[in-house]
Amino acid sequence: MFRNLQLKKAPHKVAPDPGELSLQRLIGDASLPIALRTLNQLPRNTHQRIYRLLLPPGLLTRFDINPLTWKGPDGDRHVELIAEPGTGVVRLTVRHAAEAPDPFLHIELADNSFNGLDLALLLVRDPNSPRFHTDVDEAGHDTHFGTTRRNLKEEERAMRAGLAPGQIRAGLNASPTLFQHLDAFLGFLSHQSVFLEPLTYASAWIFERRGFAYVRGHKLMDTLHHEFQPGGRLHAALDGSTPFRQPDQWRTVRGRAWAIQEGLLSVLDTKWDGLRMVKQIGRHAGVETFPGAVY
Amino acid sequence: MTERLKLTRAAELETLPVFRQFVEAACQRAGIDRETCFALKLAVDEACANVITHGYAGMDPGSIILELNLDPRQVIVTLTDFGHPFEPSEAPQPDLSAALEDRPTGGLGLYFIYSAMDEVDYQTNEDGNHLILTKHLPAARDKTG
Repeated sequence: MFRNLQLKKAPHKVAPDPGELSLQRLIGDASLPIALRTLNQLPRNTHQRIYRLLLPPGLLTRFDINPLTWKGPDGDRHVELIAEPGTGVVRLTVRHAAEAPDPFLHIELADNSFNGLDLALLLVRDPNSPRFHTDVDEAGHDTHFGTTRRNLKEEERAMRAGLAPGQIRAGLNASPTLFQHLDAFLGFLSHQSVFLEPLTYASAWIFERRGFAYVRGHKLMDTLHHEFQPGGRLHAALDGSTPFRQPDQWRTVRGRAWAIQEGLLSVLDTKWDGLRMVKQIGRHAGVETFPGAVY
Repeated sequence: MTERLKLTRAAELETLPVFRQFVEAACQRAGIDRETCFALKLAVDEACANVITHGYAGMDPGSIILELNLDPRQVIVTLTDFGHPFEPSEAPQPDLSAALEDRPTGGLGLYFIYSAMDEVDYQTNEDGNHLILTKHLPAARDKTG
């Protein structure tokens, strides 16, 4: 099949110099994507108006934050916007109280080398739910979402409380609204898609439900589902040897995610690495690698 | 009236029959004749096989999104993938006049697609590689031609 085709071994897309966002450019071809680097060159109040599109007003008012001024009833600003000129990155951090140590919402977007956008980080947490210190090990070192270090005691507590790996608090069930806003933001900038790398099995499953497809890793997700079925190697490896490898965990997304976090994939001689997902604006890819899943 | 159907699966050879069955079922539901249905299945099969074998070569395969837009005049098939793009126009034409033993193995996939379809378009965008295949339905062809 097509063995004589001249395949490009790697895409030859190189992001052009974004240049400055001028009125001339805005009235020009509306289909040309605008990079974050370009937005970040604008005066602060101007890019703040644009980045405001990313934050659902209803989510802010839920915590008494004014969606326009980003201030709470105390008069303090609860939203931090970092979008430095000369960079192609934007970080939005929202706290329910100005002095709260943990934000309840953190969005980080970055230009990528293919003239597209990466969703580098998305954290949504219920600030009123119990906190689990899975983000620091027993010596107080950052675990980087449990990827570089682990705090097994806290992880076990978090798992029993119904959290997924990488979470320190329960979520807010706000991701559908957030992704609607992300779509609107992408449309405003004339981007056709957004990419991300799912940190855990649970996050990959959630992003599937939000309409993402796989650039890399769809086959891996199918394989994992297959091997978690009775008779599969992952199913057999849920042998009760640790709290994260209990026999029933194959039944749920979270159960599988904790077992994978525990290193279960060594059974398949692979690891959770290199997955990349893409969401096309306004479209739902319809991926379902765990049919009929229970979260 | 246009009917739109979508199926997304991993780009692996084991899923080829799933795409074929999906096209077959869609054709049956829409009352499309067997010959046209065969042409659609052949084109989808060859295009998916190309994505699986070459587009995602050297990487853990991602997704193939198959979309069918069926209306009384035509069927438009859109295949989207996120692997390495290719250039259909750069593909060498197979030499069908050469002796069988002198021909290279393979290389006929694109030829089959062009033969089976009325229009073939390929676009690579920020949101993936899109192969768009159009097949005019016999009734519509009879009216126009």
